[in-house]
Amino acid sequence: MTRLTPKSAYILVLVAGLALAMGDHLTSRSMAGLGAPSDLGNACAHCGAPCDE
Amino acid sequence: MVHPPAAAITSPLDRERGPIVLIGIVGLVLAALVALDTGGRGVALFALGGALGAVFLGFQYGFASAWRRFLAGGEAMGLATHFLLIGLCALVFLGAPALGVSAAGSVAPVSVSLVIGAFIFGIGMQLANGCGSGVLFSFGGGSGRMMVALPFFILGSLLGSFLLPTALDWGSLGQMPIAGGSGVFTGLAVNLGLIGLVGGGFFWLARRRGEAMPRRLLAATLIIAVLCWLVFILSGHPWGVTFGFTLWGAKIAAAIGVPVDSFAFWQWAGPRRALDHSVLADVSSLMDFGMVLGAGAMAAAGGGLRRQDWPPARQLVGAALGGILMGIGARLGFGCNIGAFLAGIASGSLHGWIWFVMAMAGSWVGIRARPGFGLSS
Repeated sequence: MTRLTPKSAYILVLVAGLALAMGDHLTSRSMAGLGAPSDLGNACAHCGAPCDE
Repeated sequence: MVHPPAAAITSPLDRERGPIVLIGIVGLVLAALVALDTGGRGVALFALGGALGAVFLGFQYGFASAWRRFLAGGEAMGLATHFLLIGLCALVFLGAPALGVSAAGSVAPVSVSLVIGAFIFGIGMQLANGCGSGVLFSFGGGSGRMMVALPFFILGSLLGSFLLPTALDWGSLGQMPIAGGSGVFTGLAVNLGLIGLVGGGFFWLARRRGEAMPRRLLAATLIIAVLCWLVFILSGHPWGVTFGFTLWGAKIAAAIGVPVDSFAFWQWAGPRRALDHSVLADVSSLMDFGMVLGAGAMAAAGGGLRRQDWPPARQLVGAALGGILMGIGARLGFGCNIGAFLAGIASGSLHGWIWFVMAMAGSWVGIRARPGFGLSS
């Protein structure tokens, strides 16, 4: 049996990642500009967690 | 005379040509998609992610190992350089209004979830042998260990996103900027003074032990600081790594039928927008892709991909557990060494300092747990 080397696994993951990213990009809503969760709402952290009221 | 086969006399660069071409194609395809949707700014941030990946891997710039060397052997120069990096970033993050830069720092709440999350993260980064950026650039460099740690990091950060809204109810003092409201220059002076005091303390400890600051480490620190400035100016925020992982986990979970959008975290405005749009339209996610490719190109150019091997099974179990802990910890603690420690302190936020203390305490525990996973302490 051929052993899966980290290099082979890496290449497989890279190709799969590209396919998933492309698929997601092409099926998601378009957006005229980059965003970050902290841009919107009452956000207090990188992840968009809201500030205390 | 016996001639070696042609394959045996090719240079390391030739032997890694396949991965270099593949990485180049993936990079170009993603850059083209980004250019069509988010334009030159998106491409620039993608490229900055690539540059950060290449620099981190090329210089082997790490947080987890430097903290471990300090806690296990008292070597403090690595920590001194981290505070030098933070101080350089603070110049721009806190000085942004005076520089005319339209960007805001990272000031997260001081909460029970921060304390718990940072502590958990600290344990995880010692078990996985890398922090958020470390997992990503080492994964990009073909590390077998990080090929196990990264999926578990993604899973953990998704679980963390489900837990965070409840954890925030455990208690929070809200945002606590240090010297906030005292003006740009006073705030900058107070925060640089604090950073200088702590960083200088680590430098003094290192010099007392006879440690020198390697030029390589100094060069890496300066280059990373410039890249962090550019990310801040272009994106409007300090660089962050782990939200991208959370988003990837949520996208995959949603694709297999998990009702991700029914969880409170994913109903908040920012995460909701990220989930609704492309993984290439979120700054953290986009830069993470760039970082993997940049590190991969750097590794392949040096012939590093083929030198990787799988670590023993016990170490892989440690990587998986460390990945899960870091993922949960990153969400509860508002980021990793980049998004919470570096960005938090450089933004003048108390939460960054608390993250540092708690992650250091977690690292102390993690170091003691490492032998159980076949790792040196």
